[in-house]
Amino acid sequence: MDLTVTIGNGKLPNPVGVASGTFGYGSEYESLIELSKLGAIYSKAVTLEPRPGNDAPRLVETPSGMLNSIGLANVGVERFLTDKMPFLARQACAVVCNVAGSGEDDYLRVVERLETHPDIFGYEINVSCPNVKHGGLALGTDPVLVERLVRRVRGLTRRPVIVKLTPNVTDITVVARAAENGGGDAISCINSLVGMVIDVGARRPVLPAGCGGLSGPAIRPVGVALTYRVSRAVSIPVIGIGGIMSADDALQYLLAGASAVQIGCATFVDPSIPGRVLSGIADYMTREQIACVQDIRGLLQ
Amino acid sequence: MRQFSATVVSNISLCRDLYRIDFAWDARAVGPAPGQFFTVRVSDSTVPLLRRPFAVSGYASDTRTASAIYQRRGRGTDLLAARQAGERLDVIGPLGNTFPPPKNSQRCFLAAGGIGLGPVLYLARHLVRDGRDISLVFGARTSAGVPAAGTFDGLSPAVCTDDGSQGFPGSAIDYLNTLEPGTFQDTVLYACGPMAMLKEYHAIAATHQCPCYVSIEQVMACGVGACMGCAIRVTTEATYARVCTDGPVFDSGVIVWT
Ligand SMILES: Cc1cc2nc3c(=O)[nH]c(=O)nc-3n(C[C@H](O)[C@H](O)[C@H](O)COP(=O)(O)OP(=O)(O)OC[C@H]3O[C@@H](n4cnc5c(N)ncnc54)[C@H](O)[C@@H]3O)c2cc1C
Ligand SMILES: Cc1cc2nc3c(=O)[nH]c(=O)nc-3n(C[C@H](O)[C@H](O)[C@H](O)COP(=O)(O)O)c2cc1C
Ligand code: FES
Repeated sequence: MDLTVTIGNGKLPNPVGVASGTFGYGSEYESLIELSKLGAIYSKAVTLEPRPGNDAPRLVETPSGMLNSIGLANVGVERFLTDKMPFLARQACAVVCNVAGSGEDDYLRVVERLETHPDIFGYEINVSCPNVKHGGLALGTDPVLVERLVRRVRGLTRRPVIVKLTPNVTDITVVARAAENGGGDAISCINSLVGMVIDVGARRPVLPAGCGGLSGPAIRPVGVALTYRVSRAVSIPVIGIGGIMSADDALQYLLAGASAVQIGCATFVDPSIPGRVLSGIADYMTREQIACVQDIRGLLQ
Repeated sequence: MRQFSATVVSNISLCRDLYRIDFAWDARAVGPAPGQFFTVRVSDSTVPLLRRPFAVSGYASDTRTASAIYQRRGRGTDLLAARQAGERLDVIGPLGNTFPPPKNSQRCFLAAGGIGLGPVLYLARHLVRDGRDISLVFGARTSAGVPAAGTFDGLSPAVCTDDGSQGFPGSAIDYLNTLEPGTFQDTVLYACGPMAMLKEYHAIAATHQCPCYVSIEQVMACGVGACMGCAIRVTTEATYARVCTDGPVFDSGVIVWT
């Protein structure tokens, strides 16, 4: 059975990764999950400087989902390389660094620094964070800016460049094509949706930042629909993300056109989910006599 | 820390507002220490989605039975209260840090408010077993929040109720303010309860220059330090600390009290 996924000049051992921001820097889950079974670990966003993140509370639960307003809290690229990469480099699975910034130069300088480390599989360029004022979402809604950024990142590295898109646009396929034109090797689809919860008694939003990013099973149909559309608009692989809790959920993404998937919040709910999604996909392939996971894409009627 | 499927030993009501659940702790997991907590997946469906955190209120190492004292506050704790003896519970633990032990000569003053009772009770029993001299105060809103005396295992706390329906009339903090200043000499303070109470407790500690350790609650998603969601503001360079892994127990001087 062939479970591998080719992205640019790299190959992932299997299609099930863990999504950025939901898996820290890997070591947090070491005693709960067999990390070597993961297709890839997508790191928490890495920025040029350390970021303390947004004011508390940063989380609120919603029906079958949650809103987060973390604000890209992270240790910054230098400490990422010295404190976090040694652990990640020891793992058998691929390490993809999620890169974020306030402007184009920030992204480029982070990638430049990360290029010095030999054990990074590739980059996931986060042009879609709903929780920061500059960069992030604003950048990711403008196809011209996305294409230029991806082209400049492309100029810095031969490693796979994955572009992570926001669903908060009128037509996601326009931004996806811009990422492909810029030289991106794959599209991650989707980041969280902008949402708000209001405390009626206090007459104010529960999150001090007002809005946050909605994720979890509640957004799965949105993720599947956008994966379906994006995979038909570009010829590079699509990585489906959003609300995956089971192998069936992941198979929806693969049938919709994804080459791989990422599990986000579900790991919070039950850390055994990433492993069970992978074994469930393998069981499905055995049952349906599918030799190659990449063939699932063509099976949608 | 491990994820395990635990068998519920008992799940009983202690008073109108509080319940106690006892369950078998996994033999391969380290036994939980005072201050530590665990998370439970309360629902098999996606509502409520996130695991719920609870402090350990006791642990018998001979029978490997752990317990937690909890209040029904919403969907998650309603589902927890519905679990029957013999049913399974999806648990991850032990999580978080522990209360630091007192120095040699120090007396210990422990305060609990409402659902802060669990971790404080566990610490109290631990300290008494170690031959420590402790005082315990417990505050609830009304007598409906005060468990029967048996729950306290002969620790005889000073019980306070905001409405005066049982014990000292007023909050645990009001009670502390009636004590002789000498009470706090060479004493270490420990507490768990609502933020407003902990803030005042910290002020008392600062006045008497006592070391003070508080156990903090914050909404959590992962519980293991991965999501950065449970942040609270601290005075150190990091600006924020994660309650789940840097805490839940903090030196009260490190917290930015608002
Ligand atoms: C480290 C830690 C230890 C805890 N120990 C105990 C304990 O020993 N006994 C106990 O009864 N409770 C404890 N809690 C609080 C407990 O987790 C919440 O009461 C529970 O999650 C509420 O779930 P629910 O679905 O019933 O209520 P919800 O409907 O989710 O919420 C009801 C109310 O509880 C608040 N709440 C929700 N989640 C949390 C949370 N994680 N922390 C604080 N408040 C929350 C909400 O803001 C709301 O006001 C602890 C929390 C933490 C972080
Ligand atoms: C707490 C939290 C933090 C996140 N941080 C990041 C991040 O740093 N970078 C990023 O690209 N996406 C981030 N995300 C988005 C997830 O990677 C994912 O796209 C989204 O949660 C949808 O997947 P899910 O429904 O499976 O959780 C974060 C999500 C959550 C819940
Ligand atoms: S709850 Fe995720 S870091 Fe604390």
